[in-house]
Amino acid sequence: MMTAAIEYFQFVLAPQILIGLVLGVAVILVALGLTIIFGLLDVINMSHGEFYALGAFIALALASVGLPFWLLLLLVPLIMLPVGYIVERGLIQRVFHSGERHVTTLLLTFGLGLVMEDAFRLVFGPNPQKPPVPIAGAIDVFGVFLPLYRLFLILGGAAVVALVALVVYRTRLGAMVRAAAFDRHMAASLGVPVQHVYAGAFAFGVALAGLAGVMLAPIYSVFPTMGRDFILMAFTVVIVGGMGSIAGVVVAGLLLTQVQAISSLYISPVWSDPIVFGIMVIMLMVRPQGLFGRLGHG
Amino acid sequence: MLDIRNLHTYYGTSHIIQGIDLKIENGEVVGVFGRNGVGKSTLMKAIAGWIKPARGEIVFNGERIDGQSADRVARRGIGFVPEDRRIFPGLSVEENLTLGFLQVPGRSSADNRKALDRIYARFPRLMERREQNGTTLSGGEQQMLAMARVMIGKPTLLLIDEPSEGLAPMIVADLFTIIREMKEAGCAILLVEQNVHQALTACDRFVVIERGRIVLSGDARSKTDCDRLMETIAF
Repeated sequence: MMTAAIEYFQFVLAPQILIGLVLGVAVILVALGLTIIFGLLDVINMSHGEFYALGAFIALALASVGLPFWLLLLLVPLIMLPVGYIVERGLIQRVFHSGERHVTTLLLTFGLGLVMEDAFRLVFGPNPQKPPVPIAGAIDVFGVFLPLYRLFLILGGAAVVALVALVVYRTRLGAMVRAAAFDRHMAASLGVPVQHVYAGAFAFGVALAGLAGVMLAPIYSVFPTMGRDFILMAFTVVIVGGMGSIAGVVVAGLLLTQVQAISSLYISPVWSDPIVFGIMVIMLMVRPQGLFGRLGHG
Repeated sequence: MLDIRNLHTYYGTSHIIQGIDLKIENGEVVGVFGRNGVGKSTLMKAIAGWIKPARGEIVFNGERIDGQSADRVARRGIGFVPEDRRIFPGLSVEENLTLGFLQVPGRSSADNRKALDRIYARFPRLMERREQNGTTLSGGEQQMLAMARVMIGKPTLLLIDEPSEGLAPMIVADLFTIIREMKEAGCAILLVEQNVHQALTACDRFVVIERGRIVLSGDARSKTDCDRLMETIAF
């Protein structure tokens, strides 16, 4: 009986948990930038998935001229930073102070996402392209076969989350961001350049999306609509975790992808998405603020 | 130092400030009195850059600041302690304080450290609680923190809105000691306060606002002017 249980865990449950963990880290990487932008600017960035795709396409283009993957992990977010900054100052700020801010920014970023998606199709073509996996081979984790690149993704993703949390919660820059997120008037009256903080945070969120694009491209391929695959799940994670909460993204990201992975063992995988989105609907009805509080709200 | 000329502000269609003219000289403390909702806090917010005036000018040290962003106004040397203190939740006492460094761009880290040490010497309670979340302090301590984080930027003009609201008399006395110390250090202060008697002990001059206009101004050391003030605000 005991042996059967161990074997069930080793050969059935554990591989599914690992698959869920890889997917969880991927979703967290995409949702992290989304939640920072929402927490600080109160803007639902509907083009976040396309910025994720943009990061992957830039990586693909730079890899084709011979730049190594490891350099792209640094270079692509650095390229995405000014892109995000210009989008915030040039587009978001123009409608940010209007009375209908939430609707206007939502529609604006939705439109931007559509334009970007078509631009990707025109420039890179409609077909998926798969960059080579930068780390070959696999290891045995408690009897479970785990490709090394997926292990790198789990560890690298955890490092990125830790670094972002460190910057937001342990640096003066992070204190400025949290202060501006809670009370922009008071933060400004203490000399915090709030408009630049907003643009910087948007750029940071976009750079994180770009980094996620680089990291996930070798697993999920690169194609114009790739942003759509993750963005729905990322939005769900942000809503369940608490809009603007970094801890919320991590907890909800891991929780929901585990629900998805483990439930598919027992019921048709077709049902795993409705279950996850059902959790989001229930959360919105029962606890609309999500599992954790908003950025800057203590 | 500060010259407000024919200032008008609106909230939507409500005409809140309806043509205020007010001058404040270096090192002067001016009390602003009047009933709730007459535009006292709106005046402070317009000076601090929180509200864009519809008409009129706000000139500070020879330069127009009306319409400038609040962070630029702060970096020009205007500190603002708003009515409800607005301590940032989730930020420690020290994080709340060190945000105030940004009021003085270009100040060295060593000078920032010295400024923080001076604040801790003046407010030892904040030093004791520097790691604590700012919003877990008592009301009086939060008011001290709100004052201290502005003082750390050494403003030349300080706007203080209802500082004694909801505080125990002993704390209010401490607060006014700090206001007098700021005045002695050469800082001009515009003070909105319901506790008129306490405020007059720190003020050089006063104005009374009614329906968005200044209806009375006087010398805080003149008994005749103070009697007129009491008559005006009693009704």
